[in-house]
Amino acid sequence: MESGPRVRSFEDMIEIEHLTKRYGRKTAVDDLSFTVKPGTVTGFLGPNGSGKSTTMRTVVGLDAPTSGTVRVNGRRYARFRAPMTEVGALLEAKSVHSGRTAYKHLMALAHTHSIPKRRVLEVIDLVGLTDVAGKRAGGFSLGMGQRLGIAVALLGDPAVLILDEPVNGLDPDGVRWIRELLRDLAREGRTVFLSSHLMSELAQTADHLVVIGQGRLLADTSMEDFVDGRGGGRVRVVSPEAGSLAERIQGPGVTVTSPESGVLEVQGAGAAAVGEAAAAHGIVLHELHLQRASLEDVFMEITADAVEFQQTKEGAAA
Amino acid sequence: MTTATMAEEPAVFTPPQQYRVSGPGLLRSEWTKFWSLRSSWIVLVCAALFGAGIGMAVAADFRFGAEPSVEGGVTGLDVLFGFGIGAVFIAVLGALFITGEYTTGSIRSTMAAAPRRTGVLWSKAAVFASIVLAVYAALVFATFFATQALLADTHLGGMSLSDEGVLRVLTGYVVSTAYLGLLGLAIGAILRNSAGSISFYIGVVLLLPELATMLPWDWVAEVTPYAPGNAPNTLTWLDTTGATLSVGASWLWMGIWTAVSFGLAALLLKRRDV
Repeated sequence: MESGPRVRSFEDMIEIEHLTKRYGRKTAVDDLSFTVKPGTVTGFLGPNGSGKSTTMRTVVGLDAPTSGTVRVNGRRYARFRAPMTEVGALLEAKSVHSGRTAYKHLMALAHTHSIPKRRVLEVIDLVGLTDVAGKRAGGFSLGMGQRLGIAVALLGDPAVLILDEPVNGLDPDGVRWIRELLRDLAREGRTVFLSSHLMSELAQTADHLVVIGQGRLLADTSMEDFVDGRGGGRVRVVSPEAGSLAERIQGPGVTVTSPESGVLEVQGAGAAAVGEAAAAHGIVLHELHLQRASLEDVFMEITADAVEFQQTKEGAAA
Repeated sequence: MTTATMAEEPAVFTPPQQYRVSGPGLLRSEWTKFWSLRSSWIVLVCAALFGAGIGMAVAADFRFGAEPSVEGGVTGLDVLFGFGIGAVFIAVLGALFITGEYTTGSIRSTMAAAPRRTGVLWSKAAVFASIVLAVYAALVFATFFATQALLADTHLGGMSLSDEGVLRVLTGYVVSTAYLGLLGLAIGAILRNSAGSISFYIGVVLLLPELATMLPWDWVAEVTPYAPGNAPNTLTWLDTTGATLSVGASWLWMGIWTAVSFGLAALLLKRRDV
């Protein structure tokens, strides 16, 4: 902030516009557009093979788009004078020469930007690899390799972090560690963009969600809207006077069903409204709670739509 | 919590401003990469053993051996022929210097750090050529002095640095090895695969021109001296009277092949996905 010549404002840090990437006849990413904002953790969700990694590789210039544009902070990645300070990327877990020590791997990358040894030691400490930094990376476990990849991503103290399946291979402690790390990084005003094929991994970390399937955008919403918008909140009530309660709360926009005697499922009214209605009419409640659609359910629902759509289209074409 | 963070509109993080990708930085990076692999050391030692070891063994054989046959045209300088064989190790090392990055996936870290890409190729070439030139200069000259001292009292006779053509032959061994190493590096950059690059070097660069001379057409024998693997040959011959390429032409063709192979490597590096 102090002496930075560039003025930064609250804007779209990663802009993907009509991105299409084909490998031969296979389309990996199909006319994808979305943006990622700073100060938040954005989750990138999709089944395996849906184009997440390809999209991330185009952001750091490893793959060139077949068509469309990808910009970071308003510019093409290759145009930055210090790319590692703009974007830190963890792509495939092992992007390191198996014969080189973790320390030398980081040192070789640091040299390109004239990043001092002090910073290398700092990131080694930050990711908890101090004890094994002098060992050859070929002998690392998946989790250690992942930590080394995160150290590489953090090396340039970047404004944007792009992490492809960062929790792969990490033990529960490591998973908790990376969640906190990512939240802290976002709180500092950085842009954090991480992918996963498991909704549960993103549920506790991401503020915003970009969902893709078959290389196409399926959803681009806040985490809360994503859950509420699909499946919605359903209130489950258990009461000895269920029938009477159902009459009191039924109304426009509210549907009440009774899956079994004494149990109601209310859609369109919050738990508070149901509880207040019961109190106002002196109805005894044994149980009252909001059933949120599980994130996995919602995810499965929309990706299933995408798969179905694809099959229908192919069927029609055949 | 989500809405709170959104509403506050936190200041966007400003990354450190003092870092830059630079030529010297890329050179230091490649230097670190080269010496941090055990294979670099092993291959350099093998090349040294072949060059210096064979030279010393042959020279010692002349000095202490029971009259080895010496036919016409043989000079004391011919004991250095092991450096020609050692050059194969250097070419393989050149190829591995870049294909190792592709096979292990570390090329992704490299190219994400230097997304303009070609600077990496030039730095690799510069670092590798410098190391080979320095190591081979020390080895070739040291072996020359040691072997000629051994040969001094034999019927073959030792040569001195001031004899005609000696300095050119010694420099020839050093430069042609660096050239073949660069050729290996360029092939590695083009094929991006260790086994493929080594096979290509041995099969196409080393063996094919030799095998081709067996074909029944005269023009083949006239063309093969210009082949990438043969172009530097004249430089290492003390007597160049029978050579197709003059010393100058030999330098010229080494330059042409280096420019062609690296031109293609750079073009592909810019165009292809990593």
